[in-house]
Amino acid sequence: MKRGYLGEFEEIVLLTVAVMEGGAYGVAITHEICEQTGRAVRLNQVHAALERLEDKGMLKSEMGEPTAERGGRRKRLFTTTAYGRRTLQEIQEVRESFWAKLLNPFRPATSL
Amino acid sequence: MKPPHLADRILRFFCSLDQLEEIQGDMHEEFAYQLRRGSERRAKWRYWRDVLGFVLSFALKRRSTEYSTTYLTNPTMIRNYFKIAFRNLVKNKTFSAVNMLGLALGLACSLMILLWVQDERSVDAFHANKNQLYRIYMREYFSGKMQGVIWTPGPLAEELKKSIPEIQYATPYEWVSDQTFSVGTKVHKQATNSVGPDFFKMFSYKLLQGTADAALNDRNGLAISRRMAELFFGSPEAAIGKPIRFDNRTDLRITAVFENVPANSTLKFDCLRNWDAFVADGNDWAKGWGSTDPLTFFMLRADRNGVPADPAKVEAKMQHLLDKFNRDEGKPFHTELAMQPFHEYYLNSTIKDAHMDGGRIEYVRLFSFVAVFILLIACINFMNLATARSAKRAKEVGVRKVVGAMRTVLIGQFIGEAMLLTVCSVLLAVLFVGLLLPSFNTLTGKQIELPIGGFSFWGVLVGLTLLTGLLAGSYPAFFLSSLSPIRVLKGSGPSSGLKGNTQSTWFRQGLVVFQFSLSIILIVGMIIIYRQVEYVQTKNLGYDRENLIYFPVEGDLKKNYEVLKTELSQLPGVRQVSHMTASPASNGSGTEGISWTGSDPNDKVRFTPVGVGYDFVKTMNLKLADGRDFSTAFPTDSTGFLINEAALKVMGFKHPIGQTITWGNRKGTIVGVLKDFHFQSLHSTIRPLIAYLRETRPDGNVLVRIKAGQTAEALAQLETVCKKLNPNFPFTYSFTDQEYARQYQSEQVVSRLSNYFAFLAIFISCLGLFGLATFTAEQRTKEIGIRKVLGASVVSIVGLLSQKFLKPVAIAIVLSSPVAWWAMNQWLQGFAYKTDIEWWIFALAGALAVLIALLTVSFQSIKAALMNPVKSLKAE
Repeated sequence: MKRGYLGEFEEIVLLTVAVMEGGAYGVAITHEICEQTGRAVRLNQVHAALERLEDKGMLKSEMGEPTAERGGRRKRLFTTTAYGRRTLQEIQEVRESFWAKLLNPFRPATSL
Repeated sequence: MKPPHLADRILRFFCSLDQLEEIQGDMHEEFAYQLRRGSERRAKWRYWRDVLGFVLSFALKRRSTEYSTTYLTNPTMIRNYFKIAFRNLVKNKTFSAVNMLGLALGLACSLMILLWVQDERSVDAFHANKNQLYRIYMREYFSGKMQGVIWTPGPLAEELKKSIPEIQYATPYEWVSDQTFSVGTKVHKQATNSVGPDFFKMFSYKLLQGTADAALNDRNGLAISRRMAELFFGSPEAAIGKPIRFDNRTDLRITAVFENVPANSTLKFDCLRNWDAFVADGNDWAKGWGSTDPLTFFMLRADRNGVPADPAKVEAKMQHLLDKFNRDEGKPFHTELAMQPFHEYYLNSTIKDAHMDGGRIEYVRLFSFVAVFILLIACINFMNLATARSAKRAKEVGVRKVVGAMRTVLIGQFIGEAMLLTVCSVLLAVLFVGLLLPSFNTLTGKQIELPIGGFSFWGVLVGLTLLTGLLAGSYPAFFLSSLSPIRVLKGSGPSSGLKGNTQSTWFRQGLVVFQFSLSIILIVGMIIIYRQVEYVQTKNLGYDRENLIYFPVEGDLKKNYEVLKTELSQLPGVRQVSHMTASPASNGSGTEGISWTGSDPNDKVRFTPVGVGYDFVKTMNLKLADGRDFSTAFPTDSTGFLINEAALKVMGFKHPIGQTITWGNRKGTIVGVLKDFHFQSLHSTIRPLIAYLRETRPDGNVLVRIKAGQTAEALAQLETVCKKLNPNFPFTYSFTDQEYARQYQSEQVVSRLSNYFAFLAIFISCLGLFGLATFTAEQRTKEIGIRKVLGASVVSIVGLLSQKFLKPVAIAIVLSSPVAWWAMNQWLQGFAYKTDIEWWIFALAGALAVLIALLTVSFQSIKAALMNPVKSLKAE
């Protein structure tokens, strides 16, 4: 595999960051994932994934503005890097090419 | 509503600092969110769960060090401290040199004194039984006064063993005298003494041959030193059991050979005879209790665990031991026995309030004080210079504080710098001591070595370094670290941040005052000690000690004395010949058994007896207050007495000539009264003296008054005559003036040492003053420039700069004079005859201090005053 390997959870986190366009930080990402996937994601898991992605160079971060809710602490805002975005695209292309090759596309299971 | 406190703490503890803000922020935000959504309990529970989740994930990975904060022991910071310290030293070369030199000199001086004190304390401390060894002294009560006497009756040692069970061993110890020994053709004089058989069992003089039990048991036995064994027999092994001829009349046998007596032993001897043999050898007085001559030492018995018997109990038992020996005609005897630990005698040899206290210990104390003084002066120098320079380092402190240095860190930095300098100074000081020790040894007559290998020596050095570094560095450190960064950094001039800091100026002035006070005390001390030594050496003793030679009456001279006297008197270089039982410079013997018409039988007075020959008064050059000298024209003089004025005062005769005196079985009349003369050292007052004629069986010394300027010829002639009359004895002689001076050896050493120390103290003080003057001149460069432009003369500027430094010196003079007076008065109390402390001494010391201070300061102030104002003003 040419590209850096991305785990499923990492992919979701990376996607979420891309979706949130600049407003992505720990708690917000966690809530977004919870809402979109319905999974019970924990903050520390998200943090760990963010850190790994940053290490891989797919995310970059900077400190944002402090809020009262956070006790005057600043947020770390994440954005995707070009490398991160390309990786997401490639993953999607690989998937789409597989979907396209599917001879009998799935039908919604209305009757069973 | 806040998240659980403990969980927060745990998070803070485990989370790396660079992540903490973000994670904690997220956690708090989440908590608030959960709180809005559900119950508080649930939110808290979730918080805990998340924290634990984070903590577990942190535990699994390493913390990032990329953003860690710097801390005090960070290698980068330490490197920076060293770099800054080094640059500061190099930048101010004069200051650094002055600082280091001053401190090194002070330290060297203190170290040297420390070594000396240690050496003094080690004297007699090498005996293994040191805690059980004691010496006896007597307290004599007479005429309501008390007097301490270290001489004891001859039979005392045996009696102590018999009547006090706690005393295991005891021995008398006679006075060392030079005796002649011969083996074949080898004839030498050796320092000889007589001791009891217990001697080697008590003291740790190592035996090379023979055993401690048998060494002195034999009346014909002789224990000799290695030196003596090598001199006569080649080696200790060859010496044992060999015969040796003593005084050309008795044959003795070598029963033991001991290692040469070490330098730190107060008992010094080349050979030891058996005590009984000594008593049998014409010393019958040693069997009685009336005469006192030998010292007595004893050793306490130790129990099975090695714990010695209680000394207090033993002392109580012996106190009245002498009462049962009615020493004279049943009269009550006012003498008590007391004891002193053996090794303490060397330092505590005078009696005060019925106890042995004082003596050399006073010099030990004195010099310990001097050591502390000088070290203090050096430390003050350091403090002074460092605070004076603080203006230059104020900016550094400001910048460090702005960047985030805490006060403790800064204090650490400056004390560290002081330590660094101290370490360099200590090394320099050790070097100084190493170089100076040989001359110090010749001066003090000691054999001190630098204990380079000694663990304790390095321990002391490290301790000294820490102490000095802390002492010297503390004030600058606290002062500098207290500076406010705003004040320091805002100003424009080099010292603007510190302008008007009167407190530190006061402090510096105070230190200078203190320093000079100490110096002035030392100068006054130096002058007074010098004067006292001069006084002692030039004092009219009542007899003429110049050109007076004496040599022992020994061998055939005893029976040939008449011939000797006649032959010597005919020699061209000789003026007068006589003899006396003691030495003219020092006569310490005593007797209480003297009574006269009207004497109080209960009031014992201790007289110093001396047996003399005809022409004694003329030979000694004594003055007669009344009556005449012994003369062959009066046959009754054989029982006559000469007394001195002190004795006359005690006896209280109006017309002393012809009065009757009884001494033992000798009864006679007073034929003359001598004017008081000093037959002992000036430490003691002139005691009552009683001289009797002892022409028939002379003992002691032959006195020869030689003609001035013919010493060498006279000595050669004396030797020829003595060799002829006494062929088996080498001719040895002493000069009275030299023997007299020998009694003041320690005073002379102290005098010379105090000269050096006073000089050193003032020198170090001046180094400090020099540094301060340099600093002030530098600081006031612009002021001086402007003054010069406005027309100030060089003289007025020098005056202006010097004046500032004269004030503290003047205050120092006022403060230190009473202290110096008190201290020196205490010292002079040790002399019965002393110089006066006069006011001009203080004036001289003060003037000296002012002069030296002025000279030191003027170098800098003249330099500053001569500077071209254009140069000082154009640089901005």
